[in-house]
Amino acid sequence: MLNIKNLEAKVDNKHILNGLNLDIKPGEVHAIMGPNGSGKSTLANVLSGKNGYETKGEIKYNGENLSELSTEERAQKGIFLAFQYPLEIPGVNTNVFLRTSLNSVRKARGEKELDTLNFLKIVKEKSSELGIDEKFLSRQLNVGFSGGEKKKNEILQMKILQPKLSILDETDSGLDIDALRIVADGVNSYKNKENAFLIITHYQRLLDYIKPDFIHVLSKGKIVKTGNADLGVELEKTGYANFI
Amino acid sequence: MKNFYDFKVDNIIGLSSKEKEFRNKELDLFDKNGFPNKREEAWKFTDLNTILSKNFTNITNDYISLKEKKFELIKEFDHNYLFVLDGKLVSNEFKFEDKNKVSIKEYDYEKQTFVRNQNSLNLLNNALASGGYSLEISKNYKFRKPLVVYNHFSESIKEQIISYKNSLILNENSEIKILNYTDTNSKNNFFVNSFDCFKLKKDSSLKNIFINKNRCNCYFHNYQKSDLEHNTTLDNYILSTGLKFNKMDIEINLNEEHAKSSVFSALSLSSDEHQEIKSSLNHNSKNCQSYQKIKNVLNDQSRGVYQGKIFVKQEAQKTDAYQLSKALLLNDNAEFDAKPELEIYADDVKCSHGSTSGSIDLDSIHYLKSRGIPEKKAYQMLINGFLSEILEKLPEDNLKKFLIEKLGR
Ligand SMILES: Nc1ncnc2c1ncn2[C@@H]1O[C@H](COP(=O)(O)OP(=O)(O)OP(=O)(O)O)[C@@H](O)[C@H]1O
Ligand SMILES: [Mg+2]
Repeated sequence: MLNIKNLEAKVDNKHILNGLNLDIKPGEVHAIMGPNGSGKSTLANVLSGKNGYETKGEIKYNGENLSELSTEERAQKGIFLAFQYPLEIPGVNTNVFLRTSLNSVRKARGEKELDTLNFLKIVKEKSSELGIDEKFLSRQLNVGFSGGEKKKNEILQMKILQPKLSILDETDSGLDIDALRIVADGVNSYKNKENAFLIITHYQRLLDYIKPDFIHVLSKGKIVKTGNADLGVELEKTGYANFI
Repeated sequence: MKNFYDFKVDNIIGLSSKEKEFRNKELDLFDKNGFPNKREEAWKFTDLNTILSKNFTNITNDYISLKEKKFELIKEFDHNYLFVLDGKLVSNEFKFEDKNKVSIKEYDYEKQTFVRNQNSLNLLNNALASGGYSLEISKNYKFRKPLVVYNHFSESIKEQIISYKNSLILNENSEIKILNYTDTNSKNNFFVNSFDCFKLKKDSSLKNIFINKNRCNCYFHNYQKSDLEHNTTLDNYILSTGLKFNKMDIEINLNEEHAKSSVFSALSLSSDEHQEIKSSLNHNSKNCQSYQKIKNVLNDQSRGVYQGKIFVKQEAQKTDAYQLSKALLLNDNAEFDAKPELEIYADDVKCSHGSTSGSIDLDSIHYLKSRGIPEKKAYQMLINGFLSEILEKLPEDNLKKFLIEKLGR
């Protein structure tokens, strides 16, 4: 599904990613851990098509060259990024945003756009699964949401858009214990043979709920170690010192 | 330099000799000043004289209005209407109201109100105005439906100035919402110089909305003078105009306790449109409130100006006055200028003002795009979001819906 070869990324002449390789197949869950500033969010941003990065190397998504696709095309083709810091967008109603987003994706897929009624049915169902009060959805997008509420809203968007590749950038940070379980359940219930996850996290806690097939350690813009789920437990005990 | 205008009081028919004398005096005063230029405080950011001299060769006041024209009524919401063609009241209908409570007449220039201030366009209006209407609403009468004033301009008008005065009297405890709907398809350039005088008697309320139906090449100037008595409310809503040049000069006098007034504006300007709001909120009595919020989205080479003045008289204690302008610049060639002005002589007042301008937040655009929303739509959403705070404040659901759709959002 995703094949990254020798990816380099620079911002303002600062090297952030330095020859990163990663392969993700459908049905797999990959976790990326690594010290602050090692380039995890940068990788997520580059995958989402954010401007401002000078990149080298190759990223293939289902055989297509990702660098040729705009951000919106990537999203329409099933790449989803749950932001580490979801943006507050004043004046934009959350429900209107969700509907515009879903219909843009549906349109690109050649599906019929949903009317308000059918849309609300979907939103109602998905938000209740996540324990999100409907009142939130009539508020301005993320404006004044607590840290945890913003993260839940990201997962709601994921569940509504039904992406193939979901990149979760520290979605667990800022969630309380119950919310963490709800979010993890959300991911687990969405997980299937066709879709894949790239989960960026600092904590083993999340990986107790969502069992990864692979854990990668990112350091100074490179994957320095790859292991199975046990690696997380080890890292929790020893820290990154052995790998960087 | 040869003048680019030639105005004659004699072009106005049916004036008494007393009127003629008054008007000629006003015209002489205007001629001494000419059109406003940057030296005048009220026109600090705009040299109207230069703008007009570049776009007109000879402006005159000798237009002849064609006979009654068919016009299209807005279907989206029930309303009463006035149809005004080239400044003249042509027809009216108040089918939703008790007709005994509404008086509508042509403006009576024998009893006219005029202002003479540093704005020479007011002198010109005093000299040349004809047409216009006087509307009066009876005590305790509250309009059931809004009133739409269809301001239509003939396509035959070219290189001419159209001047008129309107008057509106709201008697005690009366209430009305007015939509000033300017409608012209003209590709010609012409100038409209109008004067509105509002009197709000005790406990009355007026909501006054301005919007333009389509783009045109006209230059507009409107002076609004409002006098507010005890416990009255006046809200002005200035929406996108599509006019080549538009200046709204608003003077609001809060003369008695508990008078309240707002100026809201949501503008989305493009190409070389120029839109100015100049306001003077005069707190002449204690316990009055004024609130101004101006939001401009500026694209291409458009230009927005906001000069907001708050004046608080010494006896106007417990004044609560607020003003804020925000501009969203979408192009490096667009410009927004704001000049707040506070003149406060009372000591127990709450007064705040501010102005910001910035460009669109690209991280927010990225966020929306990352959800599959095309870039153009993402920009539109952020722009709408920026203006929504004002649009949300528009009165009456059907009217509001109509206006928001008209603004293309
Ligand atoms: N626009 C930028 N300009 C300059 N430096 C940047 C920019 N964006 C990121 N960096 C730097 O690149 C490095 C990697 O940042 P990134 O956000 O990818 O780290 P991270 O691994 O996600 O860290 P954290 O765990 O704290 O979220 C950091 O040192 C950061 O300061
Ligand atoms: Mg990060």
